[in-house]
Amino acid sequence: MRLHMLVLKDISRRKTKLGFAVLSVVIAAAAIVAVVTTFSAATEGLYEESNKFGANIIVRPEVTTIPLVAGSTSIGSLSMGENYIEESEIPKIYTIKNNSNLAVVAPRLYGVAELGNSSVVIMGVDPEKEKNLKSWWEVQGHWITAETPEKTEVMVGSDIAGPLGLKEGSPITLSQGNLSIDAVVAGVIESTGGNEDGYVILPLAASQYLLSKEGKVSSLEVRALCNDCPVEEMSRQIEGVFPGLEARSMSQIVDTEMAVVEHTQSSAMAVSIITLLVSTLTVASTMLASVNEKLKEIGIMRAVGASNAQVVSMLFFEGAIIGIIGGGIGFAIGTAASSIAAPMLVSVSPSPMWEILPLVAGICILTGMVASVIPAKRALGIDPAEVLRSV
Amino acid sequence: MSDNPVSNSPVLENPVLENPVSEKPEFSVNPEMPANPEDLSTNLIQVKDVTKKYRLGHNEVEVLHGINLEIKDGEFVSIMGQSGSGKTTLMNIIGMLDRPTGGSILIKDIDITKKSQKELVEFRRRTVGFVFQQFHLIPSLTAYENVALPLVFAGDKDDGAVASALERVGLAHRMHHKPVELSGGEQQRVAIARAVVMKPKILLADEPTGALDANTGSMIISLLKSLAGEVTVIMVTHNKELAAYSDRIVYLKDGNVAV
Ligand SMILES: Nc1ncnc2c1ncn2[C@@H]1O[C@H](COP(=O)(O)OP(=O)(O)OP(=O)(O)O)[C@@H](O)[C@H]1O
Ligand SMILES: [Mg+2]
Repeated sequence: MRLHMLVLKDISRRKTKLGFAVLSVVIAAAAIVAVVTTFSAATEGLYEESNKFGANIIVRPEVTTIPLVAGSTSIGSLSMGENYIEESEIPKIYTIKNNSNLAVVAPRLYGVAELGNSSVVIMGVDPEKEKNLKSWWEVQGHWITAETPEKTEVMVGSDIAGPLGLKEGSPITLSQGNLSIDAVVAGVIESTGGNEDGYVILPLAASQYLLSKEGKVSSLEVRALCNDCPVEEMSRQIEGVFPGLEARSMSQIVDTEMAVVEHTQSSAMAVSIITLLVSTLTVASTMLASVNEKLKEIGIMRAVGASNAQVVSMLFFEGAIIGIIGGGIGFAIGTAASSIAAPMLVSVSPSPMWEILPLVAGICILTGMVASVIPAKRALGIDPAEVLRSV
Repeated sequence: MSDNPVSNSPVLENPVLENPVSEKPEFSVNPEMPANPEDLSTNLIQVKDVTKKYRLGHNEVEVLHGINLEIKDGEFVSIMGQSGSGKTTLMNIIGMLDRPTGGSILIKDIDITKKSQKELVEFRRRTVGFVFQQFHLIPSLTAYENVALPLVFAGDKDDGAVASALERVGLAHRMHHKPVELSGGEQQRVAIARAVVMKPKILLADEPTGALDANTGSMIISLLKSLAGEVTVIMVTHNKELAAYSDRIVYLKDGNVAV
């Protein structure tokens, strides 16, 4: 039998009383694990999403809106500046310093057209380039290819295909003003959760014809190819060659969202840490009560040869055991809680973060040991001669 | 966290001192050796002018007024005296659970009042065993585990000492029982086994029969009597008949040894 066996036997005898202390560690550990698991899944999801966007830089016309005022009455506003990018200008992008990092430059034209009785957003794309950017799209049917006269191919998003009963091979007619195109559905894009769910996607030239925007595009989606590209720097270079255009890097967009996530995470973490402090106090008071209960036993142990150091080490071991049991259960509960809550809160399903288990266990053991300090002081104050004398 | 023997006394490293002759060479190199060679008597315990004061609020109460007492190795001594005469106080001081206010206690010619708290723990483990009126067993532990406690704290291996101690008190067959499953007499026998498992020189029994009926009480006394010789037994009792088993009776009266 070892000193630590004694503690384990003692703990198993006082299960119910120590249960309260363990429970408070469980709550703290569960809170911390849930917060860390949920938010790291959220952060990861955000990065994944930003990758999925497929473009690191979006280039579009700078739009300045000035209000039109007649006397004191507003009569609307006027958008100034070039609202479209000239298709012929696009090659200029290859003159930037980091041009070798430009993997894909995909032009897009957005507009609204009539499909049957409803208005839909149409997006004209360069099929080959777009396919490069959106390689993860699941298409029922096939991707649109280069235009063939009389049989324009389109892809439709799931939000459009469903209600209109469109599937591969369905003929459709898109119209805008006097113009119209007869097309056939090449494929339906399975829901991605993104904007494309509500789009009709067609070759750029067809969209330019339908929208009467020959030679014009709305935006360029640029994918920079490299790890750790100087994306910000490239954005500035692009703005340099295209006066009047604005280039925004995805990281700027992601950074903004990330800041929100981080802010929420730090508030949640603060709450968890307060929980941890409260649980330290709970463990301390439970253990102090148990020292008072065990006054006589501690006196007996001293009388049969326990040193101060041994008495203290037994208490610290008890605290550590409370901590590790609480930490283990807390990890399980926290992980379970985040797998339920995270899909609702941040729409990601996290997986158990085993890598934080040692850290959580360490923190909980430390909590138990810190909580043992005051009880240990009390135990050292016990005079065995005195406690054994009283019957 | 363990306390290793820090003492430089060779006696500490060799707690089993069956043969007093073999101790002599050790004493000759012992720095704590007393100046007067006559003190190297057969006296195992020498209590010299021991006083004990307790502080009660602003007052100090002296409960031992200069006790002098010598106890030979292997002797069986009874201490008697009225309630409050200081018997328990004296036992605790001899057993190093308490320190005297004045005077000195020599055990094996070593002045234990000069030892540090840490040295004392190690010395006490291997020198004295306690038996109490209320048995003071740990309820969650079996008889075997209770007897093993001193070994656990001393960091010693159980090389059969526990089993033989239980056998010695006739309880080998109940070693896996917990205290609640044992009678009072059996519990006290377990406590005696625990007190002798380290093979100490001194067994201190403070009213060991106080919580037992007369028959069981005399059985416990016979057991102590059978241990005396191997170990020096000091027993506090209020019972003259039981005290008669011992080699000698010391009377305490109001904190003094009465003759
Ligand atoms: N911690 C203490 N503080 C103050 N006084 C104490 C303390 N412990 C004991 N005393 C007093 O010291 C005196 C001797 O006590 P002690 O317990 O040694 O007597 P005893 O002879 O063992 O008595 P009993 O036969 O009742 O056990 C008593 O008057 C007691 O009240
Ligand atoms: Mg007493």
